[in-house]
Amino acid sequence: MNQRISVLLCAVLALILPIQAIFAVEAGGKAPDCGLTSMRDAQRYDLRQFHGKVLYVDFWASWCGPCAKSFPFLNSLHEKFSKEGLQILGVNLDENPADAKEFLGKYPADFTVAADADEQCARDFDVKAMPSSYLVDRKGVVRHIQLGFRPGEAKELQSLVERLLAEHAGAQ
Amino acid sequence: MKRSQLAPAAACLIFGACLSGCAPVAPWERGNLAKPQMALDVNPMLSTLRSHNYSSREAASGGSSAAGGGCGCY
Amino acid sequence: MAAIKKKKTLESSAGRLLVSACRRLTGVIKPRISKQQAAASASSPLHALTAAALALPGLMMTPAQAADEEAGFQYGHYQEGKRQLFGIKSRFKPIEVESLQGSGKIKLADRVRFAFNYIQDTWGGATPIATAPLSFQGNRENGVIAGATPFLQNNNVYFDAQLNPLQRNNAANTFSKDPQLVHTLSSASPETRKQGDFKLSYEWDEAALDVGGGISLENDYESRFGNLGGRWDFNQKLTTLNLGLSYTASDTQAIIDHDAAPYIYDTTSGTASYNAMYDSQIEILPGGKRVLHGKRQDWAAHFGLTQILNRNALFETGAGYTRSTGYMANPYKAVETAFIDPAQTPGPSGELTGLAIGLLEQRPDARNQWTGDLRYVQHIDGLDAALHFDYRFFHDDWGINAHTFAADWVQPLGNGWTVTPRVRYYSQDAASFYQPYLVSQQAFSKLVVDASGRPILVEADNPNNGKTYFRDQNFNLVDENGNRVDEVAVNPINKTVPFDRKLLPAHYSSDQRLSGYGALSGGVTISKQFTKGVSLEAGAEYYTHEGSLKLGGGGEGSYADFNYYVVNAALKVDLAALALAGAGHDEHSGHGGHNDHSRHSGHGPAGVMFDHMLSRSGDFMVGYRYMYGNQHGAMLHGSDAAGDMDIVNNGCPNSNGCFLASSGMAMHMHMLDLMYAPTDWLNLMLMPQFVDMDMSMRKLDGAPQPTTPAEEAAIPHHVLHEHNTGGIGDTGVYALIKLFDAPGHHVHTALGISAPTGDVGIKFRDTHGLEGGFMHYDMQLGSGTWDFKPSITYTGQKNRWSWGAQISGVKRLENRNKSGFAFGDIFQSTAWGGYDLLNWLTASVRGVYTVKGSVKGEFNGTFNKLGPMDYSTSYGGRYWDVGFGLNAFVPRGDLGGNRLSFEWLQPVNDDVNGYQLPREGALSATWSYAF
Repeated sequence: MNQRISVLLCAVLALILPIQAIFAVEAGGKAPDCGLTSMRDAQRYDLRQFHGKVLYVDFWASWCGPCAKSFPFLNSLHEKFSKEGLQILGVNLDENPADAKEFLGKYPADFTVAADADEQCARDFDVKAMPSSYLVDRKGVVRHIQLGFRPGEAKELQSLVERLLAEHAGAQ
Repeated sequence: MKRSQLAPAAACLIFGACLSGCAPVAPWERGNLAKPQMALDVNPMLSTLRSHNYSSREAASGGSSAAGGGCGCY
Repeated sequence: MAAIKKKKTLESSAGRLLVSACRRLTGVIKPRISKQQAAASASSPLHALTAAALALPGLMMTPAQAADEEAGFQYGHYQEGKRQLFGIKSRFKPIEVESLQGSGKIKLADRVRFAFNYIQDTWGGATPIATAPLSFQGNRENGVIAGATPFLQNNNVYFDAQLNPLQRNNAANTFSKDPQLVHTLSSASPETRKQGDFKLSYEWDEAALDVGGGISLENDYESRFGNLGGRWDFNQKLTTLNLGLSYTASDTQAIIDHDAAPYIYDTTSGTASYNAMYDSQIEILPGGKRVLHGKRQDWAAHFGLTQILNRNALFETGAGYTRSTGYMANPYKAVETAFIDPAQTPGPSGELTGLAIGLLEQRPDARNQWTGDLRYVQHIDGLDAALHFDYRFFHDDWGINAHTFAADWVQPLGNGWTVTPRVRYYSQDAASFYQPYLVSQQAFSKLVVDASGRPILVEADNPNNGKTYFRDQNFNLVDENGNRVDEVAVNPINKTVPFDRKLLPAHYSSDQRLSGYGALSGGVTISKQFTKGVSLEAGAEYYTHEGSLKLGGGGEGSYADFNYYVVNAALKVDLAALALAGAGHDEHSGHGGHNDHSRHSGHGPAGVMFDHMLSRSGDFMVGYRYMYGNQHGAMLHGSDAAGDMDIVNNGCPNSNGCFLASSGMAMHMHMLDLMYAPTDWLNLMLMPQFVDMDMSMRKLDGAPQPTTPAEEAAIPHHVLHEHNTGGIGDTGVYALIKLFDAPGHHVHTALGISAPTGDVGIKFRDTHGLEGGFMHYDMQLGSGTWDFKPSITYTGQKNRWSWGAQISGVKRLENRNKSGFAFGDIFQSTAWGGYDLLNWLTASVRGVYTVKGSVKGEFNGTFNKLGPMDYSTSYGGRYWDVGFGLNAFVPRGDLGGNRLSFEWLQPVNDDVNGYQLPREGALSATWSYAF
């Protein structure tokens, strides 16, 4: 009986699972290229332009609690490693830019914060959760996908960043 | 017994059928859903107080609240 | 990379099984595991806690996760309206309930959450114990005080040939048809229920598992429960499945009220009680105390599915099944039953005469319950509001179908204000065995005769000894062998057989909760969220129960209608938000200067109030303080043990002697500390409090015989029942003023006023038609007077050492309160020393000397003085205590800034006024958070 229920459930789930994630970004794959606008000075960024740096792309929104928790960590990463070639991009996905501004007032960011107004980056990266972070090595390969943020995982993330910074350090 | 086992499965089928017509909501599109007023239970502490009052005066408030509560007699 | 891979395998094996089954079955690409849910943390606060309290823990989970760390406090007051008694003046106050709830939720690790919850309710007042035709006169004026008392044993009641109840006009001796029903009301002294429960959860990326349990305690009912819950997220968390299981075991140990005892009719004339079902359940203890024992078990399962429909709407649907077995009746409810002997000759007006008596209600010992629920939440874009619509269907095999509809409109107004109006409609059918009252066509009892038709007699005092007696032709008493026996020694009564129980229905109850009716309620809640995650909330709800509101009609008559209202107030602290706001820029680079500062601002041991000040203007502090005190053991007179004879002879001045003494007393006090610093030299403080107390009594050896009916009635009531009181206590408002501040040394004074918000008019229930009178002075909830509460405090610290001293007092500003008395003034001095064992842990030792005055004045109403606790001279004294304390402070992290302290106060010497119980010790526990 139990099994029959789970079979039924599965059938239901099959119906509702949208067909997607076909072009999913995977660890080990090439990072997509997409354009962003700086929230500070409206400057346009292209992800390609950070080639040769270790790129930490963090998708966030003002309504996301763990995002707020991740900001102090991202600030500390920026402070420690930006000189060694770490580029942090906080990609905001708020529908209302005013919400993002208010959030940044409460939780100031030292790293680069950019808006993804047409959600192109979010789609290209196939963002699965908020926050989602993608660690891209100096060769443009996605090396780690971090979904969510838990303070206990910060240490591990930092050591991964250090490892990626050490790889091909002289490449550029 | 039969009834209790079929109910969830039936519910799933009905809603599964409905859902195939639902628009998928991307993770970054859930700003409204994340608002406190959109939580299924907006005020859990108050709900506790209320359900205790209801269950001390109504026959049907049990069923999903068999635990705790005491008899609330008198 | 290995470390990262490993994390992905943490997914629950159950979830994995299901998912892999899906994959096999459908071939659909399984979405990758996401690590945090999108719509996560801003959602409902303390959610897991609701589930843990009252509702089946673990069965009601939202798709969104609750905020990580929170503390909440809530007060609720339930007040029922008066019942319709058709012109009879009742002296009973309708039932009211005072509730207090405290909840906490913390993250023990990134994926481990712990939630706990504490609830206590104290209720007292009148509710229906039975229903009867108005002509039965169940609420009857009787006794020495005005107003009705319940009558369940009404010898003569009248019916017509069609068994319609008849009202008798005594003067004219005529009868008229009167089908009107009415509830019979009975009142109870206050009682308290306490519940504690917890829930421990582990979260995977797309699943969670939790275990929980708890206990609920009342004098007469005990419940223990455990539960298991699981959550699985699918489809990027657009879909969530919940499954919950719970088990509850409950024990009833109801002391059958001696006032209402006649309705538990046991025949004394030599035959076993007819009420065989309860024979084994009712235990008769020495002194006539009757205790009904019952056991009950509940197994419950709930399955739920939550689906996000679009970016503005979601719904939840679920189904539940509960199976309950065992004793499910209410031991305090009776079913009024009229026995009409069909063999009787109708009276001159054709009336039939019956005998009415209350029987304990009889419910089936199994109940299967099914529920289905649907909840829909819609965001209203233009208004940023949310509409909640809930429907629930309930069906059980007692014949009850019920429907509940509720709608809430949650409207944020800006600046942190939210207003939530709500309506709810509920309708239920009557249980198949519900009967307002019963009519049984048989005689209540019959004389037993022997083979030759002679009535059998038995000994009144020992009817079951097997001996039978008869009357001979000359009406002399003879034994079985025809020998004359001494009439006085035998004290004969007729042997009777009671009615045949089989002629009654198998199950019957007149509990109005099992009747058919509808209920409409509506209310509004207003909340204000302050910056940094503290919110205050107040709400009210009005509820009306009416037979005519039943869906489809056919509900109970309007005599059973009633209404109630509930008001509530709550304080919630989002610790995670506070920590974020306080952490500022970077938690790793040590900017937590504010927290470090508050650590060293001279906190004293937990038992010392007003021990520290906030040193920066604009700072807030919220805190919770719990104090427990216990008195127990052999009575003291001064510092020496007092024997019972001493107490009897000297404890109750100007009386025949004491009857009773208290054998134990416990007090629990819950306080909120709300502190704000408008400037750095002045702090303002508000301290609402909630208290509850219980006391047990014993009969003194050598006590005199009671002389008045009131004493006769009150003494057993005191000894048989533990007394409980509880509710809002006095509210303190204080100003703390800095007098001296230098590195290592600090002096401040606190000047405060305590407002008499605690009830000082608590009385015992009336018993046997006699007024119970005021309850003992220290069982009242407050002082009843406006009090001045000054103190001066010095604190110092150097390196790992800290120390301090405080002098404090309470000066009553009035000679008597509205109940006619005033507590004595209090003076206290204390000094302590502390040492930092660790950078987050301080141990302290403290000495305390306290002088308390005796009570002034006396209760100004009916008041049964039965022992020293009822005499003002047995209050107050001089006390020495030593305290041992621990203070913990969380310097950083998610819970950074939280402070937790405990202190045990061990009495060293008591020198009491009059005759009092010795103190056994006191515990103080405090939690505070400054921001």
